[in-house]
Amino acid sequence: MPCQSSAGKEKGKQMEHDVLIVGGGIAGMESALTLGDMGYKILLVEKQASIGGKMILLSKVFPTLDCASCISTPKMAATSHHPNIDMRVNTEVEGITKLTDGTFKVKIKRKATFVDPAACTGCGECEKACTVAQPDQFNFDLAARRTAFIPFPQAVPKKAVIERFGSSPCNFTCPAGIKAHGYVSLIRSGLYDEAMDLIMEVTPIVASLGRTCFAPCERECTRGKMEGPLPIRMLKRFAADHYYEKNPHPPYGPPGEKRDKKVAIVGSGPAGLTAAYHLAKNGYEVTIFEAAEEPGGMLRLSIPAYRLPKDVLDRDIENVTALGVEIKTGHRVQSLAKLREDGFDAVFAACGAMQDLKMKIEGDDLSGVEGALTFLMRVSSNEKTDLTGKTVMVVGGGNVAIDAARVALRLGSAKVLIQYRRSRAEMPALDAEIEDAIEEGVDIQYLKAPVRFKGASGKLEAVESVNMKLGEPDKTGRRRPVPIEGSTSTMKVDLCLVAIGQRPDLAGFSEKDGTALTRWNTLEVDSTTLETNIPGVFAGGDVVSGPASVVEAVNSGVRAAEYMRRYLEKEELPGKPMAQPPAVVDRDDVLKRNEGITKLTPAKIKHLPVEERVHNFKEVELPFTEDEARFSASRCMDCGGCSECHQCVHACPANAIHLDMQSQSEELEVGAVVLSTGFQLFDAHLKERYIYGKHPNVITAMQMDRILAPTRPYNGVLRPSDGKKPDNIAYVLCTGSRDHTVGNPLCSRVCCMYSIKQAQLIMGALPLADITIYYMDIRAFGKGYEEFYKQAADMGVYFVKGRVGSIEPADNGNLVVHYEDIEGEGGHKTAEHDLVVLSVGLFANPEAGDLFQGQKLDLDLQAFINEVDEDIDPGRTNIEGVFAAGSASAIRDIPDTILHSGSAAAQAASYLERRRAAK
Amino acid sequence: METWQIRPLGEVLRDEWIMRPRILELLKEEPRTIPQLAEALGKPSNEVMLWVMAMWRYDLLEETGKANREGFFTYKVRD
Ligand SMILES: Cc1cc2nc3c(=O)[nH]c(=O)nc-3n(C[C@H](O)[C@H](O)[C@H](O)COP(=O)(O)OP(=O)(O)OC[C@H]3O[C@@H](n4cnc5c(N)ncnc54)[C@H](O)[C@@H]3O)c2cc1C
Ligand code: SF4
Ligand code: SF4
Repeated sequence: MPCQSSAGKEKGKQMEHDVLIVGGGIAGMESALTLGDMGYKILLVEKQASIGGKMILLSKVFPTLDCASCISTPKMAATSHHPNIDMRVNTEVEGITKLTDGTFKVKIKRKATFVDPAACTGCGECEKACTVAQPDQFNFDLAARRTAFIPFPQAVPKKAVIERFGSSPCNFTCPAGIKAHGYVSLIRSGLYDEAMDLIMEVTPIVASLGRTCFAPCERECTRGKMEGPLPIRMLKRFAADHYYEKNPHPPYGPPGEKRDKKVAIVGSGPAGLTAAYHLAKNGYEVTIFEAAEEPGGMLRLSIPAYRLPKDVLDRDIENVTALGVEIKTGHRVQSLAKLREDGFDAVFAACGAMQDLKMKIEGDDLSGVEGALTFLMRVSSNEKTDLTGKTVMVVGGGNVAIDAARVALRLGSAKVLIQYRRSRAEMPALDAEIEDAIEEGVDIQYLKAPVRFKGASGKLEAVESVNMKLGEPDKTGRRRPVPIEGSTSTMKVDLCLVAIGQRPDLAGFSEKDGTALTRWNTLEVDSTTLETNIPGVFAGGDVVSGPASVVEAVNSGVRAAEYMRRYLEKEELPGKPMAQPPAVVDRDDVLKRNEGITKLTPAKIKHLPVEERVHNFKEVELPFTEDEARFSASRCMDCGGCSECHQCVHACPANAIHLDMQSQSEELEVGAVVLSTGFQLFDAHLKERYIYGKHPNVITAMQMDRILAPTRPYNGVLRPSDGKKPDNIAYVLCTGSRDHTVGNPLCSRVCCMYSIKQAQLIMGALPLADITIYYMDIRAFGKGYEEFYKQAADMGVYFVKGRVGSIEPADNGNLVVHYEDIEGEGGHKTAEHDLVVLSVGLFANPEAGDLFQGQKLDLDLQAFINEVDEDIDPGRTNIEGVFAAGSASAIRDIPDTILHSGSAAAQAASYLERRRAAK
Repeated sequence: METWQIRPLGEVLRDEWIMRPRILELLKEEPRTIPQLAEALGKPSNEVMLWVMAMWRYDLLEETGKANREGFFTYKVRD
């Protein structure tokens, strides 16, 4: 036997561990403790969040009726505290390769649990705060747990973990990184303020986004593959409106801690406001310079009030000014470099793309031909514009075109038409906006575009247009419009609004500051840090991207704020990459997980009737009621598991939650391997005639063991259909065992005894209950087992010899069992029970076979690990140096598992010593 | 008539969030058994059982004492 100091060492090779043990059930723990006590260094790998295997989940054990927890927990504690055992839970073995020198190379992956185990105290506050419910696998689906959870009260280690299948599609898709799933789950829980706070972790302009976002999250929402996506944008609006109603002004002021640095932001659109908000929260002195008379950028200047009421925008902006940010309106910045010279430590240029592109056709400069953006800005700044009786043509197919057309209608136009050079399918404007415009009376002419503006005395009188057809796709993938010769037509038009694109107005900056521009005339920035060629000057939003969207501008505001903070704190740029979300879940997997769920017609988004809206600027889209919001949120399928609502982050007193944690792989070498990967339970759904899963009162014995355990899922021994204490319980033995119809001829060895154990326990808990055990024959082979069986019969348990053919529902949640009476009168009989327990068989866990690379681990016909000679060499497998322990190689009860694990440990020690001696 | 219904488990468990306020409201009126709650809510009793047991687990409600003669516990809002 090695002394302590020699353990962990191979001659000529330094190894941290002598033996890898895969699986931390009773077999794994027993082998680890035995080998650890001998002085070997053990690496014990368990894929679940706790060691203890199935045994810790049992009520009591046969035939002694000792409490399973009371005998498991000391072993679990000893395993976790043993100086020679390195225990890794939530860890998977990715591969084991045997090396030529007889040692093994092992690749393991520690799965991200999103909770720092060193900091977590196991207080369970995260579970209580979590907003996502999942079936509790440790209660075999009898109850709910949370996505943030501690597996069970006696878990070792008792640490929370967060279950994440990946990023939810909505969270993953949001360009700004707003946690859509998070606020959906908060609204579902009635936590509206928390939903608002979550969105405000990213941006202050929540209500504006809730009204104007093009909601790419909704396009990816998995529910969209069913009856329609969640109305995620409307839910954001609901959270904001609810919060603003309660808080007409921000309930906070400037941050307590100030930093001695000044930041200038040029432009008060979504990018500028978002960056200002984050920088001000960090304690910097922030001044926004805005050329227009009022702040908000495009939100105020181009988005009409019927989509985004000005008072709503004002309240969003107050979220920024409340932090002490000063907004200097009517102040057009001419030079970015000058701001630096004026004492600003950093500058963020977010001045948008505010210049209309011209059509560059004859008559372009006539009065009455105007850029659509210029027109919208005029109207927004309350310049009186009366279009009564006029014919207005809008050219273009984007949202600006639609906005301009609908505004023109509201200003009294007799006729408003849009000419778009492609077809409806290529139109970039949002479908809902197009529909609204048509509903209001806007006439859209597809495949048509102006070729000449005709006028007299410098004033537009008519527009000559040509019909188009679609040719080959261009670089963007959209089919190129081609004029049809001889198809021109002319119509009288009073005002033509050109909405064919916008670009930033940057001539000033490039001339004065030497700011680098791209060939699209946008500001050139570092794609990660957003810094321009002038140190300390950053830029984002439309001025960098060209005309894009509010949510993309928000994203650049968030990013710029972070890199500006690094710059101001003299940290290295770019430095550590910003947190990356986990890979997005496969939506088809989510649908599979949710097979059979109810189709729920989405709540309709209501609009003001046309006649009530078309002559004014009243908000068109009506808000969700609270019921509509909660119903809509409740359709969410929790695609990624965790919603990223951050409630656990706030609730955890130890700051242990880190949602950006990553899984980590590691390669190690060991001298020997013990496989204690245990067994699997028979899936009772496969015995269709026993209606498991189709009737709540047909449960498995494993579920009954949980119901009987002190850490049970219910507040008593109750049946699942209605919480009644059952008083007439049936056990169906050999469910999935000794049954060729499910491909398992084997006896599962333990089912007779565990059923008898449960029957005795039930008689203790429910003294008046009748218990019937339907059996083929009772296998009571171990020490004290026969007596245990007799004792149950003496206590009044009915033993009926006969195989159960089928189970049928009866009234009141009861069940009728059809069985063959073998010992009594014979023939087919029926009996009614109020709960049926299926004594399910034990199957091999086939995982062990997949662990090895380069060499094949032999499995037997039932996929248990094959022992080379189980009579005289228990535990040895076909791979020298690899041993099986416990039920991984055959079905065993706990006493046999412990014995067998001792044997596997001894075999592993012997292998190590033989190799050492040989060297 | 049966008072239970089988729906996919995940879907039922998710509904706890919208059922919670209604269950708490009913239990504030008076302690109730699972079938009584199910009737008042117009929901299947096995689903109510899942919601009530989740609320029991996370300390929102508790049983009032022993089960009644029919074998049902009554539940009340936890103080
Ligand atoms: C309903 C029921 C009641 C029972 N009652 C009794 C009783 O009263 N008395 C009795 O003696 N026996 C009883 N048994 C049998 C008892 O549960 C088993 O004997 C015992 O659990 C076997 O222990 P094990 O460690 O071999 O396997 P398990 O308990 O199955 O443990 C295996 C462990 O390995 C982990 N694992 C699996 N694959 C991997 C992998 N690839 N990587 C890392 N980890 C992995 C698993 O997560 C698990 O933690 C009962 C069984 C059932 C089903
Ligand atoms: S972020 Fe929210 S959903 Fe995710 S584990 Fe924490 S509380 Fe639960
Ligand atoms: S179903 Fe829920 S989590 Fe999934 S994409 Fe839709 S809103 Fe997001």
